[in-house]
Amino acid sequence: MSMSSQKTTSQAIPTTRRVIINDAAHMPHDYSTTPGGTLFSTTPGGTRIIYDRKFLLDCRSSPLARTPPCCLPDIPGVTSPPSVTIKNDKAHPKKTVNNNSISPLADKSAGEDAQFEMDI
Amino acid sequence: MNQFEHLKEEDCGEQDEMKEINDSDGGSVNNNNNNIKRKMVTPAPGEHPLQYNYTFWYSRRTPSRPANTQSYEQNIRQMGTVASVEQFWKFYSHLVRPGDLTGHSDFHLFKEGIKPMWEDEANKNGGKWIIRLRKGLASRFWENIILAMLGEQFMVGEEICGVVVSIRFQEDILSIWNKTAHDQVTTSRIRDTLRRVLNLPPNTIMEYKTHNDSLKDNSSFRNTKITL
Repeated sequence: MSMSSQKTTSQAIPTTRRVIINDAAHMPHDYSTTPGGTLFSTTPGGTRIIYDRKFLLDCRSSPLARTPPCCLPDIPGVTSPPSVTIKNDKAHPKKTVNNNSISPLADKSAGEDAQFEMDI
Repeated sequence: MNQFEHLKEEDCGEQDEMKEINDSDGGSVNNNNNNIKRKMVTPAPGEHPLQYNYTFWYSRRTPSRPANTQSYEQNIRQMGTVASVEQFWKFYSHLVRPGDLTGHSDFHLFKEGIKPMWEDEANKNGGKWIIRLRKGLASRFWENIILAMLGEQFMVGEEICGVVVSIRFQEDILSIWNKTAHDQVTTSRIRDTLRRVLNLPPNTIMEYKTHNDSLKDNSSFRNTKITL
Protein backbone atom coordinates (compact mmCIF):
# COMPACT_ATOMS: atom_id res chain seq x y z
CA MET A 1 0.00 0.00 0.00
CA SER A 2 1.53 3.32 -0.93
CA MET A 3 2.05 5.94 1.66
CA SER A 4 1.74 9.67 1.48
CA SER A 5 4.50 11.94 2.62
CA GLN A 6 6.14 10.94 5.86
CA LYS A 7 6.43 14.47 7.15
CA THR A 8 5.02 14.63 10.62
CA THR A 9 4.71 17.22 13.29
CA SER A 10 6.88 16.49 16.28
CA GLN A 11 5.18 14.78 19.18
CA ALA A 12 6.42 13.55 22.50
CA ILE A 13 5.03 10.04 22.15
CA PRO A 14 3.80 9.37 18.66
CA THR A 15 0.64 7.38 19.11
CA THR A 16 -0.64 8.42 15.73
CA ARG A 17 1.01 9.03 12.45
CA ARG A 18 -0.07 12.31 11.04
CA VAL A 19 0.66 13.09 7.47
CA ILE A 20 0.80 16.67 6.30
CA ILE A 21 -0.16 17.08 2.71
CA ASN A 22 0.29 20.54 1.40
CA ASP A 23 1.81 19.70 -1.92
CA ALA A 24 0.24 17.74 -4.73
CA ALA A 25 3.58 16.11 -5.42
CA HIS A 26 3.20 14.22 -2.15
CA MET A 27 0.09 12.45 -3.28
CA PRO A 28 0.47 8.79 -4.18
CA HIS A 29 1.40 8.25 -7.77
CA ASP A 30 -0.22 4.98 -8.57
CA TYR A 31 -3.68 6.20 -9.29
CA SER A 32 -4.82 9.00 -11.47
CA THR A 33 -4.65 12.54 -10.20
CA THR A 34 -5.99 15.66 -11.83
CA PRO A 35 -3.41 17.50 -13.91
CA GLY A 36 -2.01 20.53 -12.14
CA GLY A 37 -2.64 19.21 -8.67
CA THR A 38 -5.38 17.85 -6.54
CA LEU A 39 -8.45 19.63 -5.26
CA PHE A 40 -8.18 17.80 -1.99
CA SER A 41 -4.81 18.65 -0.59
CA THR A 42 -5.23 20.00 2.88
CA THR A 43 -4.39 23.58 3.74
CA PRO A 44 -0.79 24.20 4.77
CA GLY A 45 -0.31 22.95 8.29
CA GLY A 46 -3.42 20.78 8.07
CA THR A 47 -3.23 17.09 8.80
CA ARG A 48 -5.24 14.03 7.94
CA ILE A 49 -5.01 10.79 9.84
CA ILE A 50 -3.97 8.10 7.41
CA TYR A 51 -3.30 4.45 8.20
CA ASP A 52 -2.24 1.81 5.76
CA ARG A 53 -3.77 -1.63 5.74
CA LYS A 54 -0.84 -3.33 7.37
CA PHE A 55 -0.82 -0.90 10.27
CA LEU A 56 -4.53 -1.39 10.88
CA LEU A 57 -4.17 -5.15 10.82
CA ASP A 58 -1.27 -4.97 13.25
CA CYS A 59 -3.42 -2.99 15.68
CA ARG A 60 -5.83 -5.88 15.80
CA SER A 61 -3.52 -7.88 18.02
CA SER A 62 -3.01 -5.12 20.57
CA PRO A 63 -4.58 -5.73 23.99
CA LEU A 64 -6.65 -2.57 23.59
CA ALA A 65 -8.41 -4.11 20.64
CA ARG A 66 -9.18 -7.39 22.28
CA THR A 67 -11.39 -6.44 25.16
CA PRO A 68 -14.98 -6.98 24.10
CA PRO A 69 -17.08 -3.95 23.18
CA CYS A 70 -19.36 -3.04 26.00
CA CYS A 71 -22.34 -1.99 23.98
CA LEU A 72 -22.80 -4.50 21.19
CA PRO A 73 -26.45 -5.36 20.59
CA ASP A 74 -27.36 -9.00 20.52
CA ILE A 75 -28.55 -9.90 17.06
CA PRO A 76 -28.54 -13.65 16.51
CA GLY A 77 -26.64 -14.60 13.40
CA VAL A 78 -24.98 -11.21 13.23
CA THR A 79 -23.32 -10.33 16.47
CA SER A 80 -21.70 -12.66 18.91
CA PRO A 81 -21.76 -12.06 22.65
CA PRO A 82 -18.46 -10.71 24.04
CA SER A 83 -17.56 -13.97 25.76
CA VAL A 84 -17.18 -15.86 22.51
CA THR A 85 -13.81 -15.52 20.84
CA ILE A 86 -13.91 -15.26 17.09
CA LYS A 87 -11.12 -16.89 15.15
CA ASN A 88 -8.91 -14.07 14.02
CA ASP A 89 -8.58 -14.18 10.32
CA LYS A 90 -6.07 -11.53 9.50
CA ALA A 91 -4.80 -11.66 6.00
CA HIS A 92 -5.44 -15.18 4.86
CA PRO A 93 -9.03 -15.29 3.77
CA LYS A 94 -8.52 -18.43 1.76
CA LYS A 95 -8.40 -20.46 4.93
CA THR A 96 -11.87 -19.35 5.91
CA VAL A 97 -14.73 -21.65 5.15
CA ASN A 98 -17.72 -19.88 3.80
CA ASN A 99 -20.46 -21.35 5.92
CA ASN A 100 -23.19 -20.04 3.73
CA SER A 101 -24.34 -23.18 2.05
CA ILE A 102 -27.22 -21.55 0.23
CA SER A 103 -25.32 -20.64 -2.87
CA PRO A 104 -25.62 -23.36 -5.51
CA LEU A 105 -22.94 -21.81 -7.65
CA ALA A 106 -20.21 -22.63 -5.16
CA ASP A 107 -17.59 -21.21 -7.42
CA LYS A 108 -15.11 -20.81 -4.65
CA SER A 109 -11.61 -19.54 -5.12
CA ALA A 110 -8.97 -22.22 -5.18
CA GLY A 111 -8.10 -23.66 -1.83
CA GLU A 112 -10.87 -22.01 0.10
CA ASP A 113 -12.76 -25.22 0.77
CA ALA A 114 -10.38 -27.82 -0.55
CA GLN A 115 -9.54 -29.27 2.82
CA PHE A 116 -13.20 -29.86 3.65
CA GLU A 117 -14.27 -31.83 0.65
CA MET A 118 -15.55 -35.28 1.37
CA ASP A 119 -15.20 -38.30 -0.82
CA ILE A 120 -18.53 -39.98 -1.28
CA MET B 1 -17.28 14.66 33.68
CA ASN B 2 -17.91 12.84 36.95
CA GLN B 3 -15.86 9.86 37.98
CA PHE B 4 -18.36 7.32 36.80
CA GLU B 5 -18.57 8.82 33.34
CA HIS B 6 -14.83 8.87 33.10
CA LEU B 7 -14.62 5.24 34.08
CA LYS B 8 -17.21 4.27 31.53
CA GLU B 9 -15.39 6.10 28.78
CA GLU B 10 -12.12 4.56 29.77
CA ASP B 11 -13.66 1.13 29.63
CA CYS B 12 -15.07 1.15 26.22
CA GLY B 13 -14.81 4.64 24.87
CA GLU B 14 -18.29 4.25 23.57
CA GLN B 15 -21.51 5.73 24.65
CA ASP B 16 -24.30 3.64 25.98
CA GLU B 17 -26.92 4.02 23.31
CA MET B 18 -28.15 0.48 23.24
CA LYS B 19 -30.57 0.63 26.12
CA GLU B 20 -33.67 -0.25 24.16
CA ILE B 21 -32.64 -3.02 21.88
CA ASN B 22 -35.50 -4.86 20.30
CA ASP B 23 -34.11 -8.12 19.09
CA SER B 24 -36.77 -9.12 16.65
CA ASP B 25 -36.09 -8.63 13.02
CA GLY B 26 -36.90 -5.23 11.76
CA GLY B 27 -37.45 -3.77 15.18
CA SER B 28 -40.43 -1.69 16.09
CA VAL B 29 -40.68 1.88 15.08
CA ASN B 30 -38.59 3.66 17.67
CA ASN B 31 -36.55 0.86 19.12
CA ASN B 32 -33.86 0.55 16.55
CA ASN B 33 -31.75 3.35 17.96
CA ASN B 34 -31.83 5.45 14.83
CA ASN B 35 -33.07 8.58 16.52
CA ILE B 36 -31.51 8.42 19.96
CA LYS B 37 -29.42 11.45 20.81
CA ARG B 38 -25.80 10.61 21.08
CA LYS B 39 -23.10 11.28 23.53
CA MET B 40 -19.61 11.85 22.20
CA VAL B 41 -17.73 8.74 21.20
CA THR B 42 -14.03 9.32 21.58
CA PRO B 43 -10.85 7.30 21.46
CA ALA B 44 -9.74 6.02 24.83
CA PRO B 45 -6.27 6.92 26.05
CA GLY B 46 -3.59 5.09 24.10
CA GLU B 47 -5.85 4.27 21.17
CA HIS B 48 -5.25 5.38 17.61
CA PRO B 49 -7.92 7.89 16.57
CA LEU B 50 -9.71 7.67 13.24
CA GLN B 51 -10.10 10.71 11.04
CA TYR B 52 -13.87 10.32 11.48
CA ASN B 53 -16.13 8.36 13.77
CA TYR B 54 -17.98 5.54 12.04
CA THR B 55 -21.21 3.75 12.83
CA PHE B 56 -21.98 0.11 12.06
CA TRP B 57 -25.47 -0.63 10.78
CA TYR B 58 -27.25 -3.85 9.90
CA SER B 59 -30.33 -4.43 7.80
CA ARG B 60 -32.26 -7.40 6.58
CA ARG B 61 -35.50 -7.89 4.73
CA THR B 62 -37.64 -10.53 3.09
CA PRO B 63 -36.91 -10.22 -0.61
CA SER B 64 -40.53 -10.55 -1.61
CA ARG B 65 -41.64 -7.64 0.52
CA PRO B 66 -41.32 -4.44 -1.52
CA ALA B 67 -39.27 -1.79 0.23
CA ASN B 68 -40.36 1.76 0.71
CA THR B 69 -38.56 4.51 2.58
CA GLN B 70 -40.45 3.99 5.79
CA SER B 71 -40.02 0.25 5.93
CA TYR B 72 -36.36 0.60 4.98
CA GLU B 73 -35.76 3.00 7.82
CA GLN B 74 -37.39 0.58 10.23
CA ASN B 75 -35.46 -2.40 8.97
CA ILE B 76 -32.08 -0.82 9.42
CA ARG B 77 -30.51 -0.52 12.81
CA GLN B 78 -27.38 0.90 14.34
CA MET B 79 -25.05 -1.44 16.10
CA GLY B 80 -22.44 0.92 17.46
CA THR B 81 -20.07 3.78 16.78
CA VAL B 82 -16.28 3.70 16.85
CA ALA B 83 -13.75 6.49 17.13
CA SER B 84 -10.45 4.61 17.09
CA VAL B 85 -8.74 1.74 15.35
CA GLU B 86 -8.94 -0.38 18.48
CA GLN B 87 -12.64 0.28 18.98
CA PHE B 88 -13.19 -0.66 15.38
CA TRP B 89 -11.48 -4.02 15.85
CA LYS B 90 -13.41 -4.68 19.04
CA PHE B 91 -16.64 -4.29 17.18
CA TYR B 92 -15.60 -5.90 13.96
CA SER B 93 -14.26 -8.99 15.72
CA HIS B 94 -17.66 -9.59 17.25
CA LEU B 95 -19.63 -9.39 14.06
CA VAL B 96 -20.07 -12.40 11.87
CA ARG B 97 -18.30 -12.12 8.56
CA PRO B 98 -20.60 -11.02 5.75
CA GLY B 99 -20.05 -14.32 3.96
CA ASP B 100 -21.74 -15.99 6.91
CA LEU B 101 -24.83 -13.83 6.90
CA THR B 102 -28.03 -15.51 5.80
CA GLY B 103 -30.86 -14.17 3.77
CA HIS B 104 -31.10 -10.76 2.20
CA SER B 105 -28.79 -8.86 4.58
CA ASP B 106 -26.52 -5.84 4.57
CA PHE B 107 -23.76 -4.45 6.69
CA HIS B 108 -23.17 -0.71 6.46
CA LEU B 109 -20.28 1.31 7.85
CA PHE B 110 -20.98 5.01 7.58
CA LYS B 111 -19.53 8.18 9.01
CA GLU B 112 -21.21 9.10 12.24
CA GLY B 113 -24.26 11.24 11.60
CA ILE B 114 -24.90 9.96 8.08
CA LYS B 115 -27.70 7.44 7.73
CA PRO B 116 -27.20 4.80 5.05
CA MET B 117 -30.27 6.08 3.22
CA TRP B 118 -30.66 7.91 -0.07
CA GLU B 119 -32.69 10.61 1.60
CA ASP B 120 -30.12 11.60 4.19
CA GLU B 121 -28.84 15.14 3.76
CA ALA B 122 -25.36 13.88 2.98
CA ASN B 123 -26.59 11.44 0.38
CA LYS B 124 -29.28 13.23 -1.56
CA ASN B 125 -26.87 14.57 -4.19
CA GLY B 126 -24.67 11.55 -4.07
CA GLY B 127 -24.23 8.16 -5.61
CA LYS B 128 -22.29 4.99 -5.26
CA TRP B 129 -19.87 2.71 -6.98
CA ILE B 130 -20.87 -0.93 -6.87
CA ILE B 131 -18.87 -4.05 -7.47
CA ARG B 132 -20.57 -7.39 -7.88
CA LEU B 133 -18.85 -10.32 -6.27
CA ARG B 134 -19.41 -13.98 -6.82
CA LYS B 135 -20.12 -15.95 -3.69
CA GLY B 136 -17.17 -16.55 -1.44
CA LEU B 137 -15.47 -13.19 -1.80
CA ALA B 138 -17.61 -10.87 0.29
CA SER B 139 -15.81 -11.28 3.59
CA ARG B 140 -12.37 -10.55 2.25
CA PHE B 141 -13.45 -7.61 0.09
CA TRP B 142 -15.55 -6.11 2.86
CA GLU B 143 -12.59 -6.13 5.19
CA ASN B 144 -10.32 -4.54 2.62
CA ILE B 145 -12.73 -1.80 1.66
CA ILE B 146 -13.39 -0.96 5.30
CA LEU B 147 -9.69 -0.74 6.07
CA ALA B 148 -9.16 1.52 3.09
CA MET B 149 -11.96 3.82 4.16
CA LEU B 150 -10.94 3.96 7.83
CA GLY B 151 -7.34 4.53 6.82
CA GLU B 152 -8.27 7.48 4.59
CA GLN B 153 -6.89 5.89 1.45
CA PHE B 154 -9.44 7.44 -0.89
CA MET B 155 -8.10 10.98 -0.68
CA VAL B 156 -11.31 12.70 -1.66
CA GLY B 157 -11.68 15.14 1.22
CA GLU B 158 -15.06 14.84 2.85
CA GLU B 159 -16.73 13.03 -0.01
CA ILE B 160 -16.90 9.46 1.30
CA CYS B 161 -20.10 8.70 3.19
CA GLY B 162 -19.77 5.01 3.83
CA VAL B 163 -19.58 1.50 2.50
CA VAL B 164 -22.09 -1.32 2.27
CA VAL B 165 -21.83 -5.04 1.71
CA SER B 166 -25.04 -6.60 0.47
CA ILE B 167 -25.56 -10.33 0.69
CA ARG B 168 -27.96 -11.55 -1.95
CA PHE B 169 -29.07 -14.84 -3.42
CA GLN B 170 -26.48 -15.58 -6.08
CA GLU B 171 -24.04 -12.72 -5.76
CA ASP B 172 -22.86 -10.23 -3.22
CA ILE B 173 -22.40 -6.53 -3.80
CA LEU B 174 -19.95 -4.04 -2.41
CA SER B 175 -20.94 -0.35 -2.52
CA ILE B 176 -19.17 2.85 -1.61
CA TRP B 177 -21.24 6.00 -1.27
CA ASN B 178 -20.00 9.53 -1.90
CA LYS B 179 -21.67 12.91 -1.48
CA THR B 180 -21.50 14.46 -4.92
CA ALA B 181 -22.48 12.20 -7.79
CA HIS B 182 -21.63 14.63 -10.57
CA ASP B 183 -18.13 15.34 -9.29
CA GLN B 184 -16.20 13.27 -11.74
CA VAL B 185 -12.82 14.02 -10.25
CA THR B 186 -14.00 12.50 -7.00
CA THR B 187 -15.78 9.54 -8.51
CA SER B 188 -12.80 8.74 -10.74
CA ARG B 189 -10.43 8.86 -7.83
CA ILE B 190 -12.68 6.61 -5.78
CA ARG B 191 -12.89 4.16 -8.66
CA ASP B 192 -9.14 4.09 -9.08
CA THR B 193 -8.55 3.68 -5.36
CA LEU B 194 -10.98 0.78 -5.31
CA ARG B 195 -9.02 -0.93 -8.04
CA ARG B 196 -5.85 -0.53 -6.05
CA VAL B 197 -7.03 -1.42 -2.55
CA LEU B 198 -9.21 -4.31 -3.65
CA ASN B 199 -6.73 -5.60 -6.19
CA LEU B 200 -9.38 -5.76 -8.86
CA PRO B 201 -8.51 -7.50 -12.12
CA PRO B 202 -8.16 -4.92 -14.92
CA ASN B 203 -11.35 -5.90 -16.71
CA THR B 204 -13.55 -5.69 -13.61
CA ILE B 205 -16.84 -4.03 -14.31
CA MET B 206 -17.60 -1.16 -12.01
CA GLU B 207 -20.98 0.47 -11.93
CA TYR B 208 -22.02 3.89 -10.68
CA LYS B 209 -25.53 4.85 -9.73
CA THR B 210 -26.78 8.15 -8.39
CA HIS B 211 -29.08 7.92 -5.40
CA ASN B 212 -31.59 10.02 -7.32
CA ASP B 213 -31.82 7.27 -9.88
CA SER B 214 -32.21 4.72 -7.12
CA LEU B 215 -35.02 6.78 -5.67
CA LYS B 216 -36.68 6.96 -9.06
CA ASP B 217 -36.65 3.27 -9.82
CA ASN B 218 -36.79 2.23 -6.16
CA SER B 219 -33.87 -0.09 -6.68
CA SER B 220 -30.31 -0.14 -5.39
CA PHE B 221 -28.56 -2.18 -8.01
CA ARG B 222 -30.51 -2.07 -11.25
CA ASN B 223 -29.98 0.36 -14.13
CA THR B 224 -26.50 1.41 -13.18
CA LYS B 225 -23.96 3.13 -15.38
CA ILE B 226 -21.36 0.63 -16.36
CA THR B 227 -17.66 1.42 -16.44
CA LEU B 228 -15.03 -0.98 -17.61
